[in-house]
Amino acid sequence: MSDESANPADRTETATTVDTADAADTTETEADGGETLGGASSASTVASLQARWESARDRELTVIGLTIVGVSLFPYLFARAPVVSDLLQGYQELASLMLVWGIFAIGFDILLGRTGLLSFGHAALWGTGAYAAGWASANITTFPLLLVAIGVVTAVFLSVVLGWLSLRRGGIYFAILTLAFAQMIYYMASAPLAFITGGDNGLTGVEIGSLLGVFDLGTELPSVAGTLLGTWRYAFIGAFLVLSVTAIYRILNSPYGIVFQAIRENEQRAEFVGFNVWRYKLAAFVLSGTFAGLAGALFTIHGQYVPLSSLYWQTSGEVVIMTVLGGVGSLLGPLFGAGIYLWVEYIVSGGYPFDWIAPYWLLVLGLVFVTVVVLFPEGIWGLVGDLRDRVATRLEER
Amino acid sequence: MSLLTLEDVDAYYGESHILRDLSMAVEDGEVCALLGRNGAGKTTTLRSIVGAKPPTVRDGTITFDGTGVTGRDSEDVSMSGISLVPEERRIFSDLTVAENLHLADVARNRSNTIGRSVSVERSGMSTEEVFDFFPRLEERDSQKAGTLSGGEQQMLAIGRALKQNTRLLMLDEPYEGLAPQIIEAVESAIERISDSGTTLLLVEQNAVAAIGIADRCYVIDQGEIVFEGEAEELREDEETRERYLGV
Repeated sequence: MSDESANPADRTETATTVDTADAADTTETEADGGETLGGASSASTVASLQARWESARDRELTVIGLTIVGVSLFPYLFARAPVVSDLLQGYQELASLMLVWGIFAIGFDILLGRTGLLSFGHAALWGTGAYAAGWASANITTFPLLLVAIGVVTAVFLSVVLGWLSLRRGGIYFAILTLAFAQMIYYMASAPLAFITGGDNGLTGVEIGSLLGVFDLGTELPSVAGTLLGTWRYAFIGAFLVLSVTAIYRILNSPYGIVFQAIRENEQRAEFVGFNVWRYKLAAFVLSGTFAGLAGALFTIHGQYVPLSSLYWQTSGEVVIMTVLGGVGSLLGPLFGAGIYLWVEYIVSGGYPFDWIAPYWLLVLGLVFVTVVVLFPEGIWGLVGDLRDRVATRLEER
Repeated sequence: MSLLTLEDVDAYYGESHILRDLSMAVEDGEVCALLGRNGAGKTTTLRSIVGAKPPTVRDGTITFDGTGVTGRDSEDVSMSGISLVPEERRIFSDLTVAENLHLADVARNRSNTIGRSVSVERSGMSTEEVFDFFPRLEERDSQKAGTLSGGEQQMLAIGRALKQNTRLLMLDEPYEGLAPQIIEAVESAIERISDSGTTLLLVEQNAVAAIGIADRCYVIDQGEIVFEGEAEELREDEETRERYLGV
């Protein structure tokens, strides 16, 4: 028997659906015909624009293009634009810091959102990247690009070791193991290795040279770029953010990305299909560690100082909160999570016009977090998606 | 020589002894059915074959195509040509239909695979061939697999298995929870898969349906094989059917 004729019930069902849809289409067309010519054409323009947007939305160039536009406009809007920047009380250096944490969070999401592994030890990777870059700047070279490379390579090595050890167990045990190893590294840095790390005082004496030996990171960019982006430092970090988004987009849309998602859904089934799940998990861990190291090195370049707290478990917790707040598994969502987290941490806690609430900034953060998690389980990114769909339906109804 | 042989296999879940000296064989090219009540040890047998843990196989040997596979890792067993379509949710519901099928290619294509490479001699079906088998999957190409109906999900799971280098396709309760018309569709698919030269091991509680399609049957009860023979024999053996299968 051929499959063509195999499935009478389903066949009928499909046929019915198609019929209904056809009928609806016809009604709509008739209704449109009844309206004024202008109304009909504007409705169809909206619809066609929307269709075009939907087909372009998830394409690589769109994602990267939007990231570039966002990164370019953000410091201006946040720190210099009339009204908006007054409302937000933003400033240039905070904008740079948000991007640094944003890179950390979107890299972390490869592990949490795509592969379904909750690491509570990413402070170790971020902190090690930061210390490696800081130590190198005092002892080897002050070239920013080399410092970034040193931070990334060190973090990659450490993440292979940490991942190899921690991925022996799954679920909560994995989280605890990563936490335990990260805390071990924290204590190592605080006393036994204080001659390298500076112990409780953090790593001072960090010196950042000029980019390619020409551009001082602290100076303002020329003309319009200066108005929009501000400093060379921001441009430097922003370029790495765009690169990171591109790289992660590519990873998530490669065969690896699909396997990561399959593992998140059901490890055993992925094994049945023929994947060595453990190695893919290690790959995801190392990939996220790479971005943690990159962000850590940029953190050093940004602050020219490495605090011991960058290795502390609280840092691991912060990146989890940023990612969940922004929306797990959403590529760009964690950027917003990082931005909002830091905004509350630096602006709301900082006084005017928030003096009345400043001592309670952690409470504010907690409320924001709980509200988002309860009302929008898919985070801020999910909320944006909801609103977009709602607006789209509204437009269609017109 | 049989394609798959289990010899005196003893499997345990923790300390409880589930399979007792279980021996069975699946011949190349046949449709073999393993029947039994709920909890008789059917799924444990399949899990032992593919090397899923639990259970632990403490004793006995499992041989596939002349090579011992006892205690091997699931991904190795899968790459050696055994595909298991587990019961209930068999697909990756967050992935689209196309991505679910694509996973099989990724697993087979060594350049895309991280880890030990296993030599894959026989290539599976192409996506087009799978769509030929199940035209409905092509219509639902870019849909999330979780939104498919139960029957479509079953087709997708079988389709993915066919895309692998499957020589032995094992289906765990393929009819469970499906409407009668869908069962017919799955049955006809199984027949066509068998005609194409793939060996099938069918695990079922639904004895009537399985006897109708199988060449040979095993009946398992409390971890032991209590009947072995042609499907025809089991159809006529009323006592065994009533005692162990309740039909």
